Amino acid sequence: MNNLLIWPVAVPLLSALLALLWPRRSTWIGVLGTALSLLAVVLVSRQVIESGAIELALGGWSPGLGIALRADGLSVLMLLMSTLVSMAVAVYASVYFSRSERRSEFWVLWLLLITALHALFLSGDLFNLYVTLELLGLSAVVLACLGGSRESLQAALNYLVLGLLGSMAFLIGVALIYAGYGTLDMAALAVAIESGPTAWLALSLMTGGLLIKSALFPLHFWLPPAHSNAPAPVSAVLSALVVKAALYLILRLWLALFDEVVTQTAALILGLLGGIAVLWGSWAALQAERLKLMAAYSTVAQVGYLFLFLPLLAALPEGTTRDVALGALVLLALTHGFAKSAFFLAAGVIMQRAGHDRIAELGGTARALPVTAFTLALAGVALIGLPPSGSFLAKWQLLSSVFITGQWIWLPVIAIGTLLAGAYTFRLLGYAFAPGEGVGPSLSVGREEIPAVLLALVATLVLGFWASAVWELVPISAYAGGEG
Amino acid sequence: MTQALIYALTGAVLFMLGVRATLLRDALLPRLLALNVCGAGVFLIFVSLAYRGDSLPVDPVPHALVLTGLVVAISATALALALNRRLREMADE
Amino acid sequence: MNLTLLPDLLLAGMLIGLAWAALSSDDLRRGVVLFIAFGLLLAIVWARLLAPDLALAEAAIGAGLSGALLLVALRDGGGADQHATKPSTLNRWLIDLFVLVMTCLIGWVLWLTIYAEPVERLAQLANAMLDRSGVSNPVTAVLLNYRAYDTLLELVVVLAAVLGVVVVGRERRGYREAGPVFHGLVHWLVPLLIVTAGYLLWVGAHAPGGAFQAGATLAAAGIVLRLAGYDAAGLPDGRLLRWLLVAGTGVFLLFGLAMSFSGGGFLQYPEAWSGSLILIIEVAATASIAAALVLAYRGGRTDGWPLMDEKAENREVSS
Repeated sequence: MNNLLIWPVAVPLLSALLALLWPRRSTWIGVLGTALSLLAVVLVSRQVIESGAIELALGGWSPGLGIALRADGLSVLMLLMSTLVSMAVAVYASVYFSRSERRSEFWVLWLLLITALHALFLSGDLFNLYVTLELLGLSAVVLACLGGSRESLQAALNYLVLGLLGSMAFLIGVALIYAGYGTLDMAALAVAIESGPTAWLALSLMTGGLLIKSALFPLHFWLPPAHSNAPAPVSAVLSALVVKAALYLILRLWLALFDEVVTQTAALILGLLGGIAVLWGSWAALQAERLKLMAAYSTVAQVGYLFLFLPLLAALPEGTTRDVALGALVLLALTHGFAKSAFFLAAGVIMQRAGHDRIAELGGTARALPVTAFTLALAGVALIGLPPSGSFLAKWQLLSSVFITGQWIWLPVIAIGTLLAGAYTFRLLGYAFAPGEGVGPSLSVGREEIPAVLLALVATLVLGFWASAVWELVPISAYAGGEG
Repeated sequence: MTQALIYALTGAVLFMLGVRATLLRDALLPRLLALNVCGAGVFLIFVSLAYRGDSLPVDPVPHALVLTGLVVAISATALALALNRRLREMADE
Repeated sequence: MNLTLLPDLLLAGMLIGLAWAALSSDDLRRGVVLFIAFGLLLAIVWARLLAPDLALAEAAIGAGLSGALLLVALRDGGGADQHATKPSTLNRWLIDLFVLVMTCLIGWVLWLTIYAEPVERLAQLANAMLDRSGVSNPVTAVLLNYRAYDTLLELVVVLAAVLGVVVVGRERRGYREAGPVFHGLVHWLVPLLIVTAGYLLWVGAHAPGGAFQAGATLAAAGIVLRLAGYDAAGLPDGRLLRWLLVAGTGVFLLFGLAMSFSGGGFLQYPEAWSGSLILIIEVAATASIAAALVLAYRGGRTDGWPLMDEKAENREVSS
């Protein structure tokens, strides 16, 4: 019995219920629940590292009739990212929401969001994935409107409607799969699915739905308003984690379930959209006047980078080379997750001190909030992809995959995207490190500044030095038809 | 199996009608109706997959999936309506 | 063309016609009413396709409660196009083309999978395992045993949504106290609905019915109370309300965990006990679903939901 697998879902869920029952204690329950979820994920990860992919057939029914939870290298990496980021953000949020009247609701929904993320990364059943997607979408929407402003509500509503459309597209894909193959279990499907109209159409519909949720150009328009108007801790997890969940599912579908269906042309189309997203998102980030808006546009660009890998992965033969490229993709996603959450937390600190986040008026930040300014610089290093960050190694592998496959078209995209990322980062740092009075006098802000700087350090140093662990974990697959 | 096919095709039409209206309409309420019609289309496809003629027992799995889907759909609808209401109140203030 | 197919073709045609009319209507009230009619017709279709559980749920949830929520939204004056931007002719044309192509593609795949080369799905397995599931209604077996985890997460979805309604909403003004006729109606309608809910819950183990249908029926009782001028709509205040909302998910989760501690897997019922355990879970789920749906209808915060002030205190300044 691998009942261990249920804990990353059960712990945050149980904590959410407790936080709802005892609103006065919600902050404690929230932080403690997040910490215990982290522990559960660490235990699961240890077992996967030691003994390979694990499976839990829920209710004792064979997968197919019942639902299976599965953990393999990819899901463990995503779980670790989401739980570490949410731990740091939870510490920050315990200060951020300490005086808010929506504190108790925040913590309940926060824990439900973690439940949804963990359930999604562990699920081995297509319909169950739909339920987790809806849970993730709804809790994210509610968290996004906690800011209470008109803009944030409008953005949250648009996010909700588009998310629902995406879920519907995903669900009809699931229906077609059940029609064609008679099962919803992903391990069975990984073996059964073969190229044909059913698989092709189902994959298109499911991918289409997920593209809305992962905000790939031109379906990105909902993201900047939703992410930039939410409260800072919420923006951090929306940009770092929620978008990645949809991306994780696309990877699962394309590489494990539908690997025989994916055509080079389809991958090329997504790659091209990714390329446009890189250029357009970076350009918009350079134009942005507000810090959080800049960070949100930068997310659009970073999502684009991840999609650049798809045509390369489709062109590479199964085996070590492909695993290396896949590892690079995951490494880039992880680095962005840590860097972007650090960035949003730092933006939150500045916003609370200065009362605004207009980039041109951020002079004096470095003197008033040295740790936060340092965080922005570190996160910037990771967003550009400078050494020793994880994204430097990832982009290096991206380039070498471009050389191996001969898809030269991506070279200028990567080059211009990196230059633009450098430009928007240095533009921000230029203002932040300039003298000025834009940010109020420094106060003691330990619990607010430390989580952000730790996240940024993970992105720039830890992931850079321990990148080999990512490459070792990625080939461990629970799905036979996949990369394993 | 012809009955099943008739309803499944109807489901496909309903789904795409819903998608069309979601894309074309601007206001929230029509869009919500459209998304619900979308959902009904998918549910109809699921249920027609479960139908195996009047003599054979049906496949209960799609029925259960649709029940789950129905509850999810009404939850989302309720949330969207609440958000919309708050927005209107703010516009009036 | 076989003449026995005529009723099915007629039903299908009416479904599409109603959906089209509801979605293309510029008058919102008309659209909502047509949508409710669509839901009722769908309930008939479920019955035709031998899905009585769904027929009950659709009538109660799909047409009934969705309809009630949408009508209330109309009363609030919600949803009128304020600055409607009509899509350009080219966009309309492209969207229509896309819709047409996708409909044909989906239809083609459905024809292939249902008609041309049908595959064996889970029907036989699900029905064969019924003896070991603790209930004899196969749909209940799937919902609360085979795929109980889905249902657990679905209850969490309901919880998240209703919290959202509470967070963003302010309670609507109530209704006037009802006149004597309606009041008389309430006095027998509410008990009747409650008894029906209890029956649906109990019968769900072996016949169409179950927690969702029962919860929706119970919620209908709450809505009737509210319409009659009882502002609380039968819901308790404060802490008890929170317990009510948590009950379904909580009991489900704790039972699941208890099973994994006692040597089985998560949510693996001991076979001798499964019938009773499922019934207890369903009772709790019914209470939570009903409470959530009534709260959603009531539209947000209540006096019993503490610590909330009208002005959200947020230290972040939005520009």
